[in-house]
Amino acid sequence: MTWLKLVEGYMPMQMISELACSILVFALINWSLNRAGMGIPKFWAGVGVWIYIQLYLKYRIYPPIPFSVRAIYGTVSACGIFMWVSGSEDAWQEFKRPVINVMDGISGFHKSMRTVALIVIPLALGGFAYNSFLPSFEEPIELRTVHPAPPATTKVHGKTFVLQVVENPYRVNNEGKYDQAYTDARIVEQAMGRLMKDVNDPNYNPWDPNAEGYTKYVREGGEIFFQNCHFCHGDNLNGRGLWAYAFNPIPANFTDAGTIAQLQETFVFWRVSKGGIGLPGEGFPWASVMPPWEQHLTVDEIWKVVMFEYWHTGYYPRTWD
Amino acid sequence: MSKSRYGSHLARWGVCLSVSVLLGLGLPLSSGAQEDLPEGFKQQGLPSPPPAEQIEAGKRVYFTKCVWCHGVEGAGDGPGAVRLWPRPRNFNAGTFKIRHTASGQLPLIDVDLLQTVTHGLPGSAMPSWEGILTEQQRKDVLAFVTTQLVQDRSWQDEEFEELFVLQLDQLAPKQNTPESIKRGSELVVEKKCIECHGLEGRGDGNAFNLKDDWGFSIQPADWHKCWNFRGSRQDPYNVRNIFRTFSTGLNGTPMPSFADNTSVDERWDIANYVNSLCERANEIPAPQGQVSDETAQVFSTAAPLPIDPLTDKPKSNFVIPSKFVEGDLPTDENDERWKLIPRRWLAMGGQITHKPRNFVNRIDDMWVQALYNETHIEFMFRWDDRTKSIQEDEVDWDPTEVNLGDYGVEEQAPQGTTFAEDPFHQESIAAKQKDGYSVYNDGVAFQFPVKWQELPAPRKPRYFWGDETFSVDLTKWTADGTLGVYEGTGWDQDLTELDFQEEVEVVKAEWANGRWTVIVKRPLKGDYEEVAYLEAGKYIPMVFFAWDGHNGDVGRKMAVSAFYYLVMEPPIPLTTYVYPGLITVGIVIIEGWVLGRRANRRKEKGQA
Repeated sequence: MTWLKLVEGYMPMQMISELACSILVFALINWSLNRAGMGIPKFWAGVGVWIYIQLYLKYRIYPPIPFSVRAIYGTVSACGIFMWVSGSEDAWQEFKRPVINVMDGISGFHKSMRTVALIVIPLALGGFAYNSFLPSFEEPIELRTVHPAPPATTKVHGKTFVLQVVENPYRVNNEGKYDQAYTDARIVEQAMGRLMKDVNDPNYNPWDPNAEGYTKYVREGGEIFFQNCHFCHGDNLNGRGLWAYAFNPIPANFTDAGTIAQLQETFVFWRVSKGGIGLPGEGFPWASVMPPWEQHLTVDEIWKVVMFEYWHTGYYPRTWD
Repeated sequence: MSKSRYGSHLARWGVCLSVSVLLGLGLPLSSGAQEDLPEGFKQQGLPSPPPAEQIEAGKRVYFTKCVWCHGVEGAGDGPGAVRLWPRPRNFNAGTFKIRHTASGQLPLIDVDLLQTVTHGLPGSAMPSWEGILTEQQRKDVLAFVTTQLVQDRSWQDEEFEELFVLQLDQLAPKQNTPESIKRGSELVVEKKCIECHGLEGRGDGNAFNLKDDWGFSIQPADWHKCWNFRGSRQDPYNVRNIFRTFSTGLNGTPMPSFADNTSVDERWDIANYVNSLCERANEIPAPQGQVSDETAQVFSTAAPLPIDPLTDKPKSNFVIPSKFVEGDLPTDENDERWKLIPRRWLAMGGQITHKPRNFVNRIDDMWVQALYNETHIEFMFRWDDRTKSIQEDEVDWDPTEVNLGDYGVEEQAPQGTTFAEDPFHQESIAAKQKDGYSVYNDGVAFQFPVKWQELPAPRKPRYFWGDETFSVDLTKWTADGTLGVYEGTGWDQDLTELDFQEEVEVVKAEWANGRWTVIVKRPLKGDYEEVAYLEAGKYIPMVFFAWDGHNGDVGRKMAVSAFYYLVMEPPIPLTTYVYPGLITVGIVIIEGWVLGRRANRRKEKGQA
């Protein structure tokens, strides 16, 4: 079953391509059956495809998507199927024939089908209504803003940082000057595994005894990360740490292209320094267990750990221009 | 330099150990006969050495991903190690816990070690690397670890090494019949498993001072939390994992192999029993480990808890339902009325937001249930704690004080503030310090927002004892018998004792066989406005806290949950039955109308 696993970070693309592939397979089967003269009635083909999509969304996708979202997908796919069956007048006639036949009760079989439908439909809808009227206490859905707008300035350890202009003092080239291109060239590879580029070169391996400057600071940042942050954000920075299961909101996944890869380094500096309690209201500061790291780390340590997060995930911080 | 000093010391010690183990094994081997192997084992040849390129490729993986905990020389002393318990593995001596090979032997690289890297070791910080590293990368890193970091032994050492492999794939598991489970429950007594794992298997046996080969504190597994078994391979209710661990033992720990003194059949019985103890949706009591025929029957059919594949823990549900009961609320855990409602699993993590942070929490979950009547609500908390901890010494602070740093209660520093020059001093290593804490009270607490009715959704008081704008009502029980209700206005603000105190009641508080059962009752409404007024049919935010006194938990050093919601389910209103009935009738009418029209149209067509 390993080949069936959902690949982290590829969720929407994987879902769409899997669905597209299976629809293609259905179309092929339908086409070859038609050629062989054993075509499936359009009505049942349409209903079958629609049920397949519903089952796929319900049982294949993990974590499960809520009913309301499935209902939207269900409507969209029903529209698609409707367009397919109503492409031509003949197709439309063919599609609705089984329904009309049952309504008209053209044979004994269709008559009994009509009787069954007349009883089942009101009962099913009544039962559905009963279920929705029954007081149920599902987990409430609360939507929170993961990346709220940062403030213009932030004060950490008594020093004010203007987020638009401040630079990471450790993101430096071998002359000690701020140099993003230089450091970007030394991060891990953006390929499966996200490994360092060369383990035997002190320019790339933070653990090389001869590593200096940026590369050495990455190691220092990593040491802080693995003494403080991995408990929640995980050994691979993917938000699956030791205690990730216990907390809600769940810890951020830095390997996801939607977190630090989309942010300026100063934004991350602000978030790390102020933690959950420093979030604006839309970020649910009351629920986040993210520590305000200024209580535990120095300004230098925070800059280093932020730099380590970019190094380890192979992402570049966004710049202001 | 200090790192290698530590490593080489362990290495020398490891050589002595492995030589003595091998000498011990050597005796029956000299006869060389296959029949001497324990039942279910087969001898297998040593693997061939990996090519140099693979070792080089593995080095690149190791220094990107592994070095942070396992250290430059693989001595389990990376920067992450100091705050971890269990400690990261020290590879140098070639001692590995989870194996298919006989006790004391090296593991199978392409099976045991690959599975460990693939599935991780739950209950420790070792994650699953599947989906992060390709299978090739995982094999590469093992080539590096087994050739460069395992220093005292070698898979190529024909003279000293042999591999007797448990043929797990060829042994069909025995059906978990009530008879097998019952026999297993007797065998765990006979084979003395309960001496360490406890009468009910909660890891609370006479084992508090167990140490691993490196002198680090270690605790027997709690059989009720199979998702925390290191060898559970992301398949915690699979009995084969237990059978394997029981057959081969855990090298480097006090857990021996039972291959020599149990038959395969007996091992399946024990594995079936241990597996049946792992928690299910409903509590299945087996007090003192006594399994009656009826209990065995329930054990053999109870479905496992659903496991969340994203966390490898039981799935959580953030709504805690509470049902209305007539008359007096239960007085103990055996009251039949607790069965009216499902018990909820509360996931708990260490409190690491504010100092003193709790990096090695021993309480990682709790079970909670709630019932209410016209005037009161009652909560039953049950959680596993290997030790009953009641503070013996007087402390200088009041129960309302929260800033205990002033009294010297501090978090464990990464390299020990006072030992910065010697990071390997035992007090700077979490796993060494483990049993060296002062003993405080075990405890449990829960908070509601005081004015939860007035909260503008989704706003809540901060999870950590409220905030200035919205205060919380915190009910806290401690093992010395104190039950208090306090108002909290922030994590660093001292609590205020509330006048509600006399009205709350500890219905029961008992520690038995590694588990606390604490039942707390409180009125739905207090006389004053400072107390939360609990109403039926509403979502009332709640947060839970737990302290393990033997872990040095006190004040802010504790385990904490996420936000949960208490819902006191109201009786079902009449409209629930009326409206669906009306809808059904309405649809019947519409059906009649549609069919009637259709018939008319056909008639018209026929006439035309």
